[in-house]
Amino acid sequence: MKGLKWLATASAFALTVCAVPALADVKIEDIVNDAATTNDVVSNGLGPQGQRYSTLEAINKDNVANLVPAWAMSLGGEKMRGQETQPLVRDGVMYITGSYSRMWAIDVKTGHEIWQYDHRLPEGILPCCDVINRGAAIYGDKVIFGTLDAKLVALNAKTGKVVWTKEIDDFKAGYSYTAAPLIVPTKAHGPLLLTGVSGGEFGVVGRVEGRKVDTGELVWSRPTIEGHMGTLNGKPSTMTGDKVNATWPGDLWKTGGGATWLGGTYDPDTGLAFFGAGNPGPWNSHMRPGDNKWSCARIAIDPEDGSIKWGYQTTPNDGWDFDGVNEVVSFDADGKKLAATADRNGFFYVLDRTNGAFQAAYPFVSKITWAKEIGKDGRPVYVDDNRPGDPKAGKDGKKGATVFAVPSFLGGKNWMPMAYSQQTKLFYVPSNEWGMDIWNEPVAYKKGAAYLGAGFTIKPIFDDHIGSLKAIDPLTGKIVWEAKNKAPLWGGVLTTASGLVFYGTPEGEFKALDATNGKELFSFNTGSGIVGSPITWEQDGEQMVSIVSGWGGAVPLWGGEVAKTVANLNQGGMVWTFKLPKKMAAN
Amino acid sequence: MIKFAIRFTTAAALLTAMAAGAHAGPVSDPLNSPVWNDLAKKTFGDAEIVFDDRVKVIVPDVVENQAQVPVSADARALPNVERLVVLTDLNPIQHVLTLTPVAAKADAFVSFRLKVEQGTPVRAAALTSDGVWHVGGVFLEAAGGGCSSPAMARGDSDWTTTVGNAQGKLWRNADGTARLRLRVRHPMDTGLAKDNTPAFFIEKLDVKGAGGEPLATIELFEPVSEDPTLTLSVKPQATDASVSVDGRDNNGNIYRSVVPASWNQSALAAPRAATR
Repeated sequence: MKGLKWLATASAFALTVCAVPALADVKIEDIVNDAATTNDVVSNGLGPQGQRYSTLEAINKDNVANLVPAWAMSLGGEKMRGQETQPLVRDGVMYITGSYSRMWAIDVKTGHEIWQYDHRLPEGILPCCDVINRGAAIYGDKVIFGTLDAKLVALNAKTGKVVWTKEIDDFKAGYSYTAAPLIVPTKAHGPLLLTGVSGGEFGVVGRVEGRKVDTGELVWSRPTIEGHMGTLNGKPSTMTGDKVNATWPGDLWKTGGGATWLGGTYDPDTGLAFFGAGNPGPWNSHMRPGDNKWSCARIAIDPEDGSIKWGYQTTPNDGWDFDGVNEVVSFDADGKKLAATADRNGFFYVLDRTNGAFQAAYPFVSKITWAKEIGKDGRPVYVDDNRPGDPKAGKDGKKGATVFAVPSFLGGKNWMPMAYSQQTKLFYVPSNEWGMDIWNEPVAYKKGAAYLGAGFTIKPIFDDHIGSLKAIDPLTGKIVWEAKNKAPLWGGVLTTASGLVFYGTPEGEFKALDATNGKELFSFNTGSGIVGSPITWEQDGEQMVSIVSGWGGAVPLWGGEVAKTVANLNQGGMVWTFKLPKKMAAN
Repeated sequence: MIKFAIRFTTAAALLTAMAAGAHAGPVSDPLNSPVWNDLAKKTFGDAEIVFDDRVKVIVPDVVENQAQVPVSADARALPNVERLVVLTDLNPIQHVLTLTPVAAKADAFVSFRLKVEQGTPVRAAALTSDGVWHVGGVFLEAAGGGCSSPAMARGDSDWTTTVGNAQGKLWRNADGTARLRLRVRHPMDTGLAKDNTPAFFIEKLDVKGAGGEPLATIELFEPVSEDPTLTLSVKPQATDASVSVDGRDNNGNIYRSVVPASWNQSALAAPRAATR
């Protein structure tokens, strides 16, 4: 017999997509205007700017204490790990993603499952920080999400059947995808699906890619690390950066990191997509003197061609794993188009979102040891003694001097998204107060192996709490209030025009606070730790609030001493949806 | 009462029906399956069904491996078959596969390997152009567990390196048809194994001639054995140098293979193929 290799290529394969009569197709205008429409949630961040602000007011400070569960649905199986998803809702159907690359469609009236898609994962996946997923994107008749084996899967929203699948990259080299994809309008190509890559601890090179939503066909690719060539329409386009070794020594740019693992936001006003780039590889900063662009940075990308319009580096020559991936949230103040981001490194930055010009940076955690401040030029004023030592300078040449640095590498804030209230003009930032002992070790790159060159252990800096939800005035940096939490916060925040702030804790409490003073008005035990992001929408005249509960994420895996304090928190996997009893809502 | 218009076409069956009273209504299933009426309703709706000995299902007398039971479904004795469906009454997933010849370019015949969860009727149902389903079958005696055991691929540290690999061969038959045999590496997970592996299976194969003209389509379901091994009888153009098979699994992965028709290939063009 003649051996024949079947190739997993998706070319030249015609697919017919069933019509979905009950569900109206999601249009690009619906996504762009998502923040203004209260009857659905069709984007990550409740609007592409990522403000997580709802104009709904039916649930308010006076009645929120009366919230009751409308229904709950278990994610089932034995795959109960961290649930970091944000639900989407459209035409009475909720779409959620879950641990181990699973997805569900749920009837929002009853909480009953409509369909479930379980991605068949290889045994050798290499996720760094739990088998999580942060949500889906929806467009037309498709819902699209990324998988732990670094694929994008587009499902028919009505049936849950696969319409197309595309491999982002080789999972064996450490690639995976966990962020919610972003859908943006373009003139040249129609709506594009924008995604990044995960695998920041494995020496992968970060990039942002734009694909046609209907087919998954790649339109452009933009690497984050200087020296790498982008592509447009299948041809090389432009190199990232001005020259190959401007801010990197030797060949290290080739495995330079800068993973875009948290996806991005989009600002319809400027037409720019904002993506963050993760830590440079390896962690040992003495191996790579220079700024190491664009690691630990925010970049603004023109979705028309994938070009970088501006970049801003939060931690040049990072030595602490201060990934620059945290979300960029657009907001307007003082007649200016601004954007804010709360970095792993403990500073809250305000930038001009039209050109990336630095406006101000304020500490949002109690203690920062690695930098005195962010100077007027937007660069950190480093504390040289707080950079982990060069292993070559150590006595045996194997381990550099250990330093205690604050924040820890899990950050003053990690992936969990903050919210901005157009009513109070405050940002609500889920932060953590912790530090780390960190030291450098020699390391060489090996495909598919962790590329750290550092050792570390996390320690709390207060006896009574690590987590702290902070209300921050972006114009002054003033912390208006904080709500402390014993365990580190790891879930997203939602705020409403009725002056409420919703978030969940690893202890399992789903809470609503008064947006003006942080006073707790509602708390419900969901049964497992919350590391997901809440949403709210209006269904048949009633305001609904949903959160997915299920403990996990990076903290139990990487939390050092902190992991012990959360060891008694049990895993789960449950979607909770709340509303007011009708009688009470009428009051 | 389920209303089936059931018609017998063989004399033996007719006698049986007369003995039973020969009145309208469901006629007893020759295989005496407890679920046949529901399965038939689910599969065929209100279409007319007849039990017909011309539709043959061949299984081994003794099952050695309940995850790999060789099965042949053969309705070549019937004219104008538009579709051939294989069903297993007592498997947790009853629908095994559907073969659809395109424009009579494939015979109503398929051989494959089947997972069997417990002893069960195995049936083939052939839809003829007059809208009637002709059903034949046998009872397969087997020990259980074929659908709820993990795939062999589960013990493989990396099945992703071999998934979609295929072996195939074409033979020329005396009547001008071509016998196609193809084996494709794929875990064909049922989603029912205790190890929590989700359902993952090839759900469609399109068989095409060298010029791309469709010959047959096969829909596969979870009970088809791991590394599906299929035999078909197809009718490509007499001069076609190959037959191609395009596949897609339920995760959206797409596979493609080309099986050469060695008798139509120039010895100069492919000198080594003949010796392998």
